[in-house]
Amino acid sequence: MSAPKNDSSMRPCTRAWLVLLGLTLFTYGIGSMSVGGIAATGVVLLATLLKGQVVVDHFMGLRHVRLFWRVLMFSYLAVVGVAIAIAYVLGVN
Amino acid sequence: MHFKSQAVAKPYFIAAIGLFVGQILFGLILGLQYVVGDFLFPAIPFNVARMVHTNLLIVWLLFGFMGAAYYLVPEEAETELHSPKLALVLFWVFLVAGALTILGYLLVPYASLAKMTGNDLLPTMGREFLEQPTITKAGIVIVALGFLYNIGMTVLKGRKTVVSLVLLTGLVGLAVLFLFAFYNPINLVKDKYYWWWVVHLWVEGVWELILGAILAFVLIRITGVDREVIEKWLYVIVAMALITGIVGTGHHYYWIGTPEYWQWWGSIFSALEPIPFFMMTVFAFNMVNRRRREHPNKAATLWALGTAVMAFLGAGVWGFLHTLSPVNYYTHGSQITAAHGHMAFYGAYVLINLTIISYAMPHLRHNAPAANGRAQVLEMWAFWLMTISMVFITLFLTAAGILQVWLQRAAETPLPYMVVQDKVALFYWLREITGLVFFVGLVLYVASFFVKGKAHVPETKAARAATA
Amino acid sequence: MSVTAERVEHGRALPGDFAIWVFILAELLVFGLFFLAYAFARSRNVELFNASQLLLDRQAGAVNTVVLITSSYFVVRAVAAIKENHARLCANWVGAAIGLGGVFVVIKLAEFHAKFAAGITLSTNTFYMFYLSLTFFHFMHVLLGMVILAAVMLKARRGGYDAANHTGVETAGSYWHMVDLVWLILFALVYVIR
Repeated sequence: MSAPKNDSSMRPCTRAWLVLLGLTLFTYGIGSMSVGGIAATGVVLLATLLKGQVVVDHFMGLRHVRLFWRVLMFSYLAVVGVAIAIAYVLGVN
Repeated sequence: MHFKSQAVAKPYFIAAIGLFVGQILFGLILGLQYVVGDFLFPAIPFNVARMVHTNLLIVWLLFGFMGAAYYLVPEEAETELHSPKLALVLFWVFLVAGALTILGYLLVPYASLAKMTGNDLLPTMGREFLEQPTITKAGIVIVALGFLYNIGMTVLKGRKTVVSLVLLTGLVGLAVLFLFAFYNPINLVKDKYYWWWVVHLWVEGVWELILGAILAFVLIRITGVDREVIEKWLYVIVAMALITGIVGTGHHYYWIGTPEYWQWWGSIFSALEPIPFFMMTVFAFNMVNRRRREHPNKAATLWALGTAVMAFLGAGVWGFLHTLSPVNYYTHGSQITAAHGHMAFYGAYVLINLTIISYAMPHLRHNAPAANGRAQVLEMWAFWLMTISMVFITLFLTAAGILQVWLQRAAETPLPYMVVQDKVALFYWLREITGLVFFVGLVLYVASFFVKGKAHVPETKAARAATA
Repeated sequence: MSVTAERVEHGRALPGDFAIWVFILAELLVFGLFFLAYAFARSRNVELFNASQLLLDRQAGAVNTVVLITSSYFVVRAVAAIKENHARLCANWVGAAIGLGGVFVVIKLAEFHAKFAAGITLSTNTFYMFYLSLTFFHFMHVLLGMVILAAVMLKARRGGYDAANHTGVETAGSYWHMVDLVWLILFALVYVIR
């Protein structure tokens, strides 16, 4: 995250930022098509969880922290994501 | 005792314990009236006994909080109290006003009391917990203002610690929210809406700050753990208590005419209200385990840990039981509420008061860090007797509540209220018997102050430095 | 010194003050509960939620997502700057992050204004109850985050942090990332999924 300043290669956090922007654009694209359905929702949820994990790892910097905290944050995202998916499927039926 | 003016706390604590005894006596009368309806009728009708039981509770807790503030603020601020004389004057004003009010409840029919005290001019009476005549309420405000002035000036001129600032915030909130006791709209929905701003925002809002601050103070003194560590915990606990507690008011707004969104807000936020209490438990045990000295006052440590556990059980777990709106649809205003009320008030606010009293009284009475060994043993017996009987009172009331909800509200053919009351009478009897055990515990507690033992540990200069 | 180096290799402590992490976890729990309540309320009322969702300003939501992500990124740069002992640069990055927080607030207020002007309230229907509650609750967190960042910026300007001592910057940053993280889920859940 703290690459030397004169290094021409991109900082990892800048790469993370670009990934987040891309995924947001992608999510927005799906949203603006106003498509529903399990497939589209699954893709959006996955993209969101991925974004969340990128924020946790690269912005919050938990990549370097004791495994316990990473697992905890990952579990949070996973539980919320799975629960939203379950609720969505319940709504379809 | 580090500062001479801390001595004003003593009469406050003594009055608190005296009124506590009165509260329990009326609790026993009230408990018996649940099963023997005309016990002491017409001298003390059920509604009067109930009013006295709850009002005495509130008044003695307030005496305890004020005593706690007068004791701990000078020590935290490292300066004498701004005006010990004002503190003593306010003590007598509050005590006399409180005694007159209780006598009014007991000797005069409530309607006549309302007339005598000029309730017509500014009607505020007749609402649960806020039954006090308007002039008594005005007196409470005056006492509160004088008290805040005294404490505020002391904090201002001395060292400002997180403990005293959190305590002061809680006390200011207590006084400000009490002002809603004077707002009594004709519209019954609005009446209840703002009534909860006093009742709920006291016990599930600002009182939690007072509780947290007192607990933090005692833990700093008893364990010798770094102030910074304890203060950090206090911040987090206070923040969580406010986040969940303020919007959590919504759990009183189900089906009383308020908008539907309160069902969501109330359910979501109050479902998280156990979190700060859970943190408090973890915090208290953590600090005691990491203690850096063996404080001679073992009883105070027991009360402090008891507060953390029982507050979590009573306020946290028993509150959660019926806080979600689909559950509360059935349990609203049943004996489940009574069960929660008993354990929450005992666990959180009775015990924190007894904690600070247990810690402070040896300093105030003997200038010693702890009472003699025999007195402490008796005190700990009192703790266990009162706490275990409160657990059983709560369990019996919960059983009565479950039965009541089932028979009266959930069954295919619901029974009328009074029929159900007869059917749950067994649990009321068990509760009453357990109440007697509680009273025995209370008697032992009072007795512990009179036990003579081997000499008290004198407070030497060195010991004083160690506790600073 | 070797002890510290070793700890870095085998897993550092959480960035910032530990207390903020207790707080962050508690906050995540509140938001998580809110999200689940939304999701399950929706599953019982899909048509209403889908119809009401069409009236949201998805573009504003997407722009605000970009704004918050970028603001979060600036805070990361601020932490990196102070680790290299560039206090001035750190303060500037934090200032830029606060500026973007302000942009978020303005866009959000415009959204609220449009909804209120259309006569939408908490009692309009369950969807709007959730939309307004969730976004307002998050809005309050953005404001709190900005206040915390502002305090850090002022201290950084006064030279209160350096490469060895910058827990405050990390503490504020961790909180701000939480505000960002929660919004990412909120945006997908409330604005996009249908």
